[in-house]
Amino acid sequence: MEPQQSLFDFIQQQSGKLLEQTLQHIGLTFISLLIAVLIGVPLGILITRKKVLAAPILGLAGILQTIPSIALLGFMIPLLGIGAQPAIVALFLYALLPIIRNTYTGIKEVDPTVTDAAIGMGMSRRQLLYKIQLPLAMPVMLAGIRTATVINVGVATLAAYIAAGGLGEFIFGGIALNNTNMILAGAIPAALLAIFFDGLLSLLQRVQLRKARKAVYALPVVLILLSSFYLLPSAYGTKLVAGFTPEFMGRKDGNLGLKKVYGLNIRTVVISDMIMYKAAYEKELDVISGSSTDGRVKAFDLVVLEDDKHIFPPYYAAPIVRNATLEKYPELTPALNKLSGTINDSIMTELNYRVDYLKQDPARVAKDFLVAQKLWLPARNGTKGTIRIGSKIFGDGYILANMYKMLIDGYTDLQAVTKTGLGGTKICFDALLNSQIDMYPEYSGTGLLVILAAGQQTVDSLIADRQKVYDYVSNAFMQRYGIRWLPPIGFNNTYALMMRRQQAAALHIKSISELKEYLTVKGKE
Amino acid sequence: MIKLEHVHKTFANKPAVTDVSFEVLPGTLLVLLGTSGSGKTTTLRMINRLIEPSSGQITVNGKLIQEQSAEDLRRGIGYVLQNNGLFPHYTVAENIAVVPKLLQWDEARIRERTLTLMEKLHLPPAEYADVYPAQLSGGQQQRVGLARALAADPPVLLMDEPFGALDPVTRASVRKEFMALDELENKTIIMVTHDVQEAFEMGTRIGLMDEGRLQQTGTPEELLFAPANDFVANFFRDQRLSLELKTLTLNDIKPYLPPAAGSDNYQPHVLPGTTSCWDALEQTMHTEGVLSVDFRTEVFTLDSRSLMTALQVYKQNAANGTTTKSF
Repeated sequence: MEPQQSLFDFIQQQSGKLLEQTLQHIGLTFISLLIAVLIGVPLGILITRKKVLAAPILGLAGILQTIPSIALLGFMIPLLGIGAQPAIVALFLYALLPIIRNTYTGIKEVDPTVTDAAIGMGMSRRQLLYKIQLPLAMPVMLAGIRTATVINVGVATLAAYIAAGGLGEFIFGGIALNNTNMILAGAIPAALLAIFFDGLLSLLQRVQLRKARKAVYALPVVLILLSSFYLLPSAYGTKLVAGFTPEFMGRKDGNLGLKKVYGLNIRTVVISDMIMYKAAYEKELDVISGSSTDGRVKAFDLVVLEDDKHIFPPYYAAPIVRNATLEKYPELTPALNKLSGTINDSIMTELNYRVDYLKQDPARVAKDFLVAQKLWLPARNGTKGTIRIGSKIFGDGYILANMYKMLIDGYTDLQAVTKTGLGGTKICFDALLNSQIDMYPEYSGTGLLVILAAGQQTVDSLIADRQKVYDYVSNAFMQRYGIRWLPPIGFNNTYALMMRRQQAAALHIKSISELKEYLTVKGKE
Repeated sequence: MIKLEHVHKTFANKPAVTDVSFEVLPGTLLVLLGTSGSGKTTTLRMINRLIEPSSGQITVNGKLIQEQSAEDLRRGIGYVLQNNGLFPHYTVAENIAVVPKLLQWDEARIRERTLTLMEKLHLPPAEYADVYPAQLSGGQQQRVGLARALAADPPVLLMDEPFGALDPVTRASVRKEFMALDELENKTIIMVTHDVQEAFEMGTRIGLMDEGRLQQTGTPEELLFAPANDFVANFFRDQRLSLELKTLTLNDIKPYLPPAAGSDNYQPHVLPGTTSCWDALEQTMHTEGVLSVDFRTEVFTLDSRSLMTALQVYKQNAANGTTTKSF
């Protein structure tokens, strides 16, 4: 195990990235705020004059406010795609209510005697607005802008889900990687930004009325200046755009490896796994970091680039079974091995596609496959014993667990029951160790990196060779836990870079090295 | 000059002001007197078009008010409000300069005019020019309000309960200062109030309003001694004696005072004939010895009893229409 890295080390190491994210965050917050002020203040003024409009406009802005932020971002994608635009629109909509409402309230609350006097002195409506109503409503309006700013700083973290950048990249990356330092490196600056801007605006609110007049003129300038921060980081670019999940961004066997081993330099945005595949399909992104057997690879007609320098560790799936169970029921091993070598990447992708995308029943998909492979036999309804099969909550696991149940039921006198949906690796493995289940399908890479938590040197010496990894985990599991790895099923559910099939073909890119080649030669045109 | 002819105003089919006509000449002050809801403030606000009349004609300085833009009209009319309506984000000097600025006077002229007015209203500029209204006392705020209304030297002044928010002591002193201002010469002034004493003290003429109608317009004496109807007569009932004493001077009741006695004697306490009966009565209470009145042609001795008797006769004659004074 490597020594624990301190938060300070992490921030120092990632200072460039942190600065970039912070600037993006400020930029996103203030572009949307600026637009909200430009639209919200006139709307607020309008409804003080056209009173029939007050209720519907305030009501509508109130409804927008109640839409959960992640849902609002989701609604934006079909309309505006991914990236800055939908994020800014969503943030703008959130900022709108406090600004409209406080403008309206601020002007409404100006002492009627004062407006009466102003009109009585002979001020025109325009003079009344600029000389009396706006200056006197300013503290209340600033309070609204202050609220909107704090809301926006918070919601802007979610922008990382739709490739708009900001401090959410660290926060969600940290959550995905279970890396506290990374979470804090995003969360602390975000909180500090909220506190800082809140304090700054409250200061502005409290300055003497006379000085406030000048401060108010300065406000738009400051807003525009802060907004422009967003443009700074994205000033450089390459021909292709990559979208990586927060987790992939922070992993050694992810983006860091791509940079180190391949020297890949591509404009990268961070994006949620949920919308990444679709964004690639819709040409918002050109290269994404997917999971090689994900059903959406097929659904969106993507092609996996070959990892010719082997930076992604092998994640070959194989059933792992308690040795005691295997010894008690020797007929189990041949039954389970019937599946070995039958499912390659593209078959698994196809099966996942049917379950995840076409929403077919995993049991039916499993049976169809076994029937097609002529492996299916009707259940014997044996009573010799019970085998409990676990699986993780992902598509792969459900399908494989169902196949194993059918094989056991068909080829032995044992009765199989499935306990699917056991959450993550830790839950499955603990259940197996404690004999709550007898077996579940696991990946060789997960065994090496997560369960055995092998040291860096060991990992480096093994990682390029799938057989070495398999042998290592298989020996270690037997010795340490009395758990046996049966032969691999065939597919490798690992990280992969993928592109649209058409584009990859047009650019003659089949591997990551070729992608790198294309970018360095043609990217700087 | 302000002239109203058959002015009506209805709000949502409810009459607020019905058939009001009157004329106010330069150099005079008309008080619109009445209870809340009598229509006096509505009448006032129609003159500077804060409220548009439903029908009837209003002319200011011989010009129909609709003939000019509402803004231009208002810039030529001084306006004083009950709660002063000062702009809280403007300094005293800036508040006073509002209308001259709207009229685009040059800076030097505005500055000079502001300072002059501040001096006249006992607000030393060195101390108060750059102070905000919130830092002033109620009386000072109201003086700034008066200065603001007078800043552009408008020929016409409208005052909506200008002293209403002040405590009695401050009110009396601000009122006195106001009445003494040379700025008011030749101005046409309308003031709204519900304070009867104030109306009698300040009004050249008084218009008493009730339920949107002008019940009577006339001098204070006319309202007291020749009420047009029961409403007018009853309106002053509670304060009648003090109003009568304050309104009439010794000159007014001279015919009914007993003849002079020992007028050649040395008289240490002499009052002029223009003294109000109220003040004269007060003097009789506080004076040891004989009090006399100097009517220029002759000198009367005066005591409280003879004064009250004379007042009584004056009133009887007034009721019979045989008073010597013509209204």
